[in-house]
Amino acid sequence: MTFSQLMSSMRFAISMLSIVGIASIIGTVLKQNQSYESYIIKFGQFWFEFFETLNLYNVYQASWFLLILLFLVSSTSLCVYRNSPRILKEFKLFQDNVKEKSLRSYKYSFEIPFSDFKKKDLVNLLNQHQFKTKEKLIDNGDELIIAKKGDYQKLGYIFTHLAIIIISVGGLMDGNLIFKFQESIGSKQIEFLDKPISEISKKSWLDTSNFSFRANMLLVEGESQGVGVIPVKDGYMIQDLPFTVSLKDFNIEHYSSGQPKSFESDLMIKSKNNGEVIQQKISVNKPLYYDGVTIYQSDFQDGGSKLNLALYDMYGNSKPIPMKAEIFKHNELIVDNQKMNFEFEDFRLFNILDVQENGDMKPKNVGPNYRYKIRNDSGQAREYETYQYPLFLDERYFFMSGMRNTPQEDFKFLRIPADADRTLDGFMIFKDLMIDPKQVNLAIKSISEENTVDLSQNKNEVTKGFFAIWQSFITGGYNNIASNIDQNVPLQNQEQVANTYIKIIYLIGDKIISNYKEDNSDSTIFNFNNDGVFTQDALNAYSDSFFYGSNFWVELKDFEQVQASGLQLTKSPGQFWVYLGSIMLVIGIFCMLYIQEIRLWIMKKSDSKNLILAFASNRDQIDFEKFVHKTKDEIKDFYSK
Amino acid sequence: MKVNFYNYIFTALLSLLGVVALTNFLNYMDKYEVTILIASVIGFSFLGMKWNKFKHFFLVSFALAFLSIYLYQGDISQANSNFILKYFLSSQSSIMWMSALFPLGLIIYWFYMFVKQEFYGNFASFLIWAAATFATSGLLVRWFESYLISIDIGHIPISNLYEVFVLFCLISALIYLYYEEKLNTKKLGSFVMIIINVAVAFLLWYTFTRGADEIQPLVPALQSYWMKIHVPANFIGYGAFAIAAMVSVAYLLADSKFWQKYIPAKEILDDMTYKLIAIGFIFFTIATILGAVWAAEAWGGYWSWDPKETWALIVWLNYAAWLHLRLIKGLRGNILAWWSIAGLLITTFCFLGVNLFLSGLHSYGEL
Ligand code: HEM
Repeated sequence: MTFSQLMSSMRFAISMLSIVGIASIIGTVLKQNQSYESYIIKFGQFWFEFFETLNLYNVYQASWFLLILLFLVSSTSLCVYRNSPRILKEFKLFQDNVKEKSLRSYKYSFEIPFSDFKKKDLVNLLNQHQFKTKEKLIDNGDELIIAKKGDYQKLGYIFTHLAIIIISVGGLMDGNLIFKFQESIGSKQIEFLDKPISEISKKSWLDTSNFSFRANMLLVEGESQGVGVIPVKDGYMIQDLPFTVSLKDFNIEHYSSGQPKSFESDLMIKSKNNGEVIQQKISVNKPLYYDGVTIYQSDFQDGGSKLNLALYDMYGNSKPIPMKAEIFKHNELIVDNQKMNFEFEDFRLFNILDVQENGDMKPKNVGPNYRYKIRNDSGQAREYETYQYPLFLDERYFFMSGMRNTPQEDFKFLRIPADADRTLDGFMIFKDLMIDPKQVNLAIKSISEENTVDLSQNKNEVTKGFFAIWQSFITGGYNNIASNIDQNVPLQNQEQVANTYIKIIYLIGDKIISNYKEDNSDSTIFNFNNDGVFTQDALNAYSDSFFYGSNFWVELKDFEQVQASGLQLTKSPGQFWVYLGSIMLVIGIFCMLYIQEIRLWIMKKSDSKNLILAFASNRDQIDFEKFVHKTKDEIKDFYSK
Repeated sequence: MKVNFYNYIFTALLSLLGVVALTNFLNYMDKYEVTILIASVIGFSFLGMKWNKFKHFFLVSFALAFLSIYLYQGDISQANSNFILKYFLSSQSSIMWMSALFPLGLIIYWFYMFVKQEFYGNFASFLIWAAATFATSGLLVRWFESYLISIDIGHIPISNLYEVFVLFCLISALIYLYYEEKLNTKKLGSFVMIIINVAVAFLLWYTFTRGADEIQPLVPALQSYWMKIHVPANFIGYGAFAIAAMVSVAYLLADSKFWQKYIPAKEILDDMTYKLIAIGFIFFTIATILGAVWAAEAWGGYWSWDPKETWALIVWLNYAAWLHLRLIKGLRGNILAWWSIAGLLITTFCFLGVNLFLSGLHSYGEL
């Protein structure tokens, strides 16, 4: 077997189909085009590098994958090349040099008695059944009618296989073969660093003549841009565009539940060639076509919202520190000579969470949240996510703020109970009172006077003891208490002592609040149906704050949202060919599967009272057999009338 | 010609429905949706002409749906207060009826296979028709309910995993019923109904543990007329492949002496498998192409190698290989039967596994 025979063989075709299928699976299992950092964390350095040499992070652009596709296309092309001439010839051809003997050897071969041949009528009958016919007189006086139908089945073969080739070529046109080549000879270079566009080397620019690309553009309201960014591997390339795009307005509409319903950008396009200006709205599923480039609405992001914040020191009673921040900008804050770097990263106006409502979990908008990092002097950063409004959890409202040490972790949330007015003030007042020794002593004093606990011992001793427990709590939460007990109390008594301590802490906390209520009778913030729950929650929140990694609770006072619209710009000259190929493919498959190619020979021997009929098809199926018998019976009837 | 007369009435009724829909809702439809509506009227009329029972089925389903819509009186809360809606005709109840009738049909099919009395075979088919009727009316009513909840939430109910599972059951049942009638093979119901009932079991689990039956608004990417053609085309493909696999199971069983007595002849099964895969292949090809065209409009590229797309390609390549083997190499027999069963596994992964295990642009029906 020669190489080209092998390539166009059926076995090779099936193998190629299977190999492409199996190879494609890789890219669905291994998430493609993620940051290299996340791959390293997932696989470790060794496997990361191994997979990278195999190009597994972008399988579908990998050379070896393209090579497989190339084999598929060549195999199909060769097959078409070898078979088409024969098929086209057969399309016109009637096989008329058949012998009586060979007709009789067909599987579906019959003899039908006749008296009068009535050739013309017979041909008419066949034509009525969509047969094309040809008549032939044989030298020995025999007559032959050759009939056939369903030729288009064979054309279907050419259509489908040609379609595969056209689709693949179209796909390759839109692939990045040219760029791969330019990169390999060093005339283009991927940029890996985050730089202003003006500083990016010309080697990382693709100019407007680039004939196919898929680039992104992030536009803030009111801004203009004339280039797109193409992500490549772990870096990017800059794609110059033949026009500039300005975002005049960006709009998101929401469903009543808060989920996004639609987003649209009001764009102004200005041609760099002739200054022509057009204005158009685009939205998801409604792109804009301009100068060979299609502009899509793909997503949206924050474009640098401005936030007004207040920082509450959890362990001090100073006034909250006001801070102005902007998303994507760094803020530095010096507190107690300690430098803190805030990096605000995202602001979201709408957040849809599954929250409890009348017993069911339902998606609901819970209002704005904001993400920031707090980086210490040594460069390490913790990440925070805080919601502006309290969330309804377990039948009451909490302010929520999540913290994590690395992006791979889930956020762990600190929940601060909202006061009766659903503000943060209640907790902050409580916290100030908690760390005020005067208030604590007052509370302890009234507890001992009210005798809510059994005070068989010396009162003075007891108040001292209470104070010590409280002090231990406010310097380290329940955890501190627990480790004290661990160290100082015999094992068998630990649980009992712990329960007593917890009760004492609760009593003091509760007293502090009721004292406050007495002194500030016009304040409503602690007017709960059930005060105890708030005290409990507040104490828990205070205790948990020791795991929060920051002294500061960052409250959002107000904001000015700035949005950025995510656009995608594509130029894909291959699309036309892919679509054309697709249409051919459908037509071809239809012809191949639903048109049955059938040939029929009818021979009248000059010396016989029987006609010889022979049917043939390239596919022997039940339907064909049915068809044969039906047609044969009709011809029989035709002669017995 | 009585049957012919019925055909005219059917076509006339369908056209009337189409005209009523057009005159009432033209303002809410774009030109593509109008085209889809007209094409549906023509398509269903054609199907009805070729297939008598489809006409009854279609008319009864629509009658039930309209009755249900009438009973709602424009108020979604009627679903819990009106007796008929609550127990029969609200979309959720209809779908529950469907979920009850499919298992019942399966049982009767098995009974029929062993008892061999025509009555039970007919009864089983009837149950499946009834299940399909409830599925259709359930989906139609769900469509209406979504608009009752809020005009902007309204959409055709083929947008999430719950809805397409109902669609899968419905389409598979219809495809099976068609071949059952044409090839006169009621005994296959015992096998084919298994896969449909697996889908029903999943649907029930999904409903009761995840509350999946709740109507959710559409994300922006799905708000397109493309959904109305891409999804049904896909599910004709999935349905046909699934049934083909079940017929292949029967084909393999037919080798045993015991089963031979209860299963149609192997040639018939072989022919049926081929026909199912052929029709599935055509629709799956069209669906994938439509998906690409839609993707080009919504995501900015006709092919992104997103997991769903890639798995669709794998499914397609698999059946292309199957067809090559059978048509060109003339291969027959057990290998192809096993292959078509393996095909169902691949198809299931494409349909469900991708949503469960992989993430990508197509993450509309996550668990
Ligand atoms: C969905 C797509 C395809 C369909 C429906 C299809 C169908 C067919 C059919 C019906 C034939 C037989 C033609 C005849 O009767 O002579 C055939 C032959 C063949 N096909 Fe495909 N094919 C498809 C894709 C491919 C692909 C992708 C390849 C390439 C790897 C391929 C390679 C071949 C080969 C090598 C033959 C044998 C040609 C011969 O020697 O007769 N086919 N195909």
